[in-house]
Amino acid sequence: MSTINYKLRKKVSLGTRYAILLGWLLFCIMPIIILVMASLKPTSLFQTIPQILSFSGFTLENYTRAFRGGNFMLYFRNSMIISFSALVVVLIVCTPMAYGITRLPSMRQRNIVVFSVLSTRFLPYVVLAMPMFILFRQIGISGTLSGVILAHLAMQMPMIVWLMLGFFSGIPIEVEEAAVIDGCSPWQTFWRIALPMVLPGLNAAAILALIISYNEFLFAFFLAGRGTQPLTVGITRFVGGVDVGAQYGVVAAYGSLIILPIIIFALVVNRYIVSGLTQGAVKG
Amino acid sequence: MSTQRYFRPWSFILPGALLGIVTLGYPVYRAIFYSFHAVTMRRLGEPVFIGFENFTRLFGDHLFVRSIVVTINFTLGTTVFAVVFGLLIASIMSTRGIRGTLKARFFMAFYLVPFVTTQVVTGILGRLYVWQSSYGLVNHLLDRVGISGPSWLTNLDTALFATVFTNGWRMTPLALLIFYAALATIPDELVESAEVDGASTFALWFRIKFPMIRFHLGFVSLIILTSAFREFDVIYGLTGGGPGRSTEVLSILVYRLGVAQGNMGMANAVSVTMLLVISVITIIAVKAGKLGKMSD
Repeated sequence: MSTINYKLRKKVSLGTRYAILLGWLLFCIMPIIILVMASLKPTSLFQTIPQILSFSGFTLENYTRAFRGGNFMLYFRNSMIISFSALVVVLIVCTPMAYGITRLPSMRQRNIVVFSVLSTRFLPYVVLAMPMFILFRQIGISGTLSGVILAHLAMQMPMIVWLMLGFFSGIPIEVEEAAVIDGCSPWQTFWRIALPMVLPGLNAAAILALIISYNEFLFAFFLAGRGTQPLTVGITRFVGGVDVGAQYGVVAAYGSLIILPIIIFALVVNRYIVSGLTQGAVKG
Repeated sequence: MSTQRYFRPWSFILPGALLGIVTLGYPVYRAIFYSFHAVTMRRLGEPVFIGFENFTRLFGDHLFVRSIVVTINFTLGTTVFAVVFGLLIASIMSTRGIRGTLKARFFMAFYLVPFVTTQVVTGILGRLYVWQSSYGLVNHLLDRVGISGPSWLTNLDTALFATVFTNGWRMTPLALLIFYAALATIPDELVESAEVDGASTFALWFRIKFPMIRFHLGFVSLIILTSAFREFDVIYGLTGGGPGRSTEVLSILVYRLGVAQGNMGMANAVSVTMLLVISVITIIAVKAGKLGKMSD
C-alpha cells in the first residue's frame, strides 16, 4: 500500500520537480541574458527590465563604442598572453611534480609533500599579491606581463598539482613496473605510459586553469600596468573612467564581450569541467 | 618497493618545488616580514622594523574589527547559501526519472554558468542590472508582487545581504555539482528498501543520505568557505567595499590600506592575520580529512 502511495506521489511530482529545475535554470542565466540584451539596446536612456528584454530596437552602437573607447583588442591580447603562458608553464612543471609525488616510495615522504601542497591550496590571494606588489617594484617587473604571469603561476600551481595527484593516484603502478622491466627510463615511463593514461584528467586540469586565469582580476589589478592589463581590469577602469549613468549599455557590451566567450567555451567542454570539479570530492 | 626507487620521483618533483618556493614560499615569507615593518610607498626599499606595532594598531582599530565581522558574515553567508541551495537542487536532480537523463545533463551544463562567469563582471552586472534600485531585476520582481524594494547597494543594512546573495549565486554550482555526483552513488536498492519499510523522507535523509554524503558535505563546505574567505573580485565589482565599508571584507581592506593608501606594513599585517585563520582551517581540514578518506 505504501509503495503504491509512494509511486503515485512521485509520478505526480515529476512535473513539479522539472518546474523547480527550470526555475533554477532561469535563476542561473537570467542575469547573463539581461546583460547581453541590455548591450544590444541604445545607450542613451535608462532601460527598465521589460524594455531590456523586449525584442525590438536592437542596435550595435554599444559594441562599436566599447571597441573604440575601451582598448578592447589590446586587453584581450593581454588576457590571452597571461592565460596561455601561465597554463603552459604550470602544466610543464606541475604534471611531473604530481606524478613524482604519487610515486614517492615512503608514505611519510608523500604525506609531507602533499601537506605542503595542501597548505598553499587555500591561501588568500592578497597574502601573495601584497608582497608581490612591493617586490615587483624593487626588481623592476612591476606593470609587466611577466609579473602578472608569475602571480598566476602561484595561483594555479596548488590547484593543478592537487588535481593531477588525484588523477595519477588512480592509475595502477603495475603497468609502469612492467615498462621498467622492459627497459624504459623513468622519463620514458612517465611520458609514454603514465601520461597517456591521465590525458582526460590533464585536459580537465588545463581547461579549469584556463578559465580561472582568464577570469582572474585581483592579481592583475595589483600588478599590471596601463598597457599590460587584461580584460577584467580593463572593464573596471572603463566603468570608473566614464559617467556610468549614461554608459550602462557600453559597459554591458564590454561585459558581454568578456563573459560570452568563456561561457560558450565552458558549455562546449562541459564534460571536462565536471570531471575536474568533482575530482577529489567524489573519488576521495 | 625497489622499483619505485627506480622511478626517481624527486627529479620529477624538483622543478615544481623550486617554482613553488619562488612564487609561493618567498612572497608568503615577505608578507610576514613586512607585517613587522613600517613600509610606505615613498620608502619601499627601506622597511623599518617596528615589532608588533602594526598588529597592535590594527586590533585597536574598530574598523579592522568591523571588517573581521563583515568577513565572517560574508564567508558563512555564502557557504550556507551554496550548501542549502546546492543540496536542494542536487536532491531533486538525483531523483529517479531525472537522474542520468539527457535533460539532467543539459540542466547541469547551464547550472555551471554562474561559476564560470568572470567574477568581476558578475559584480558589475549585479551593480548595474540586478540590485540597482529603480531599474534593477530584483526590485522589478518585488514591484510586481507589490513590494517596494530598498536601494540595495547604497543602503548600509542591505548591501552585505546583496553581496552574499551574489557570491552565493556564483558558488552554488560547485556545491550542486558535487552533491549531485555524491547522491548518484547511493544505491537505489538502499533507498527503495527503506521506503518500502516505511521510512519517512526525514528519516531517509538523516539516516541514509546525509551519513553517506558526509564526506562531500565537509569537502564542499571547506572549498566554499576558503574561497569566500579570500573573495575579492565579486565584491570589488559589486560595491567596492561600500557603502560606508559595510561590505569591506579583509581582502578589500588589504587593497585599501596597501595600494590605495600606501601603508603596506599595515596591509601585510591584515593579510598575515588572514594567513593565520586559513592555516587553522587547513590544519583542522587535514585532521578531519583522515575521516573522509574512509569513504573511498
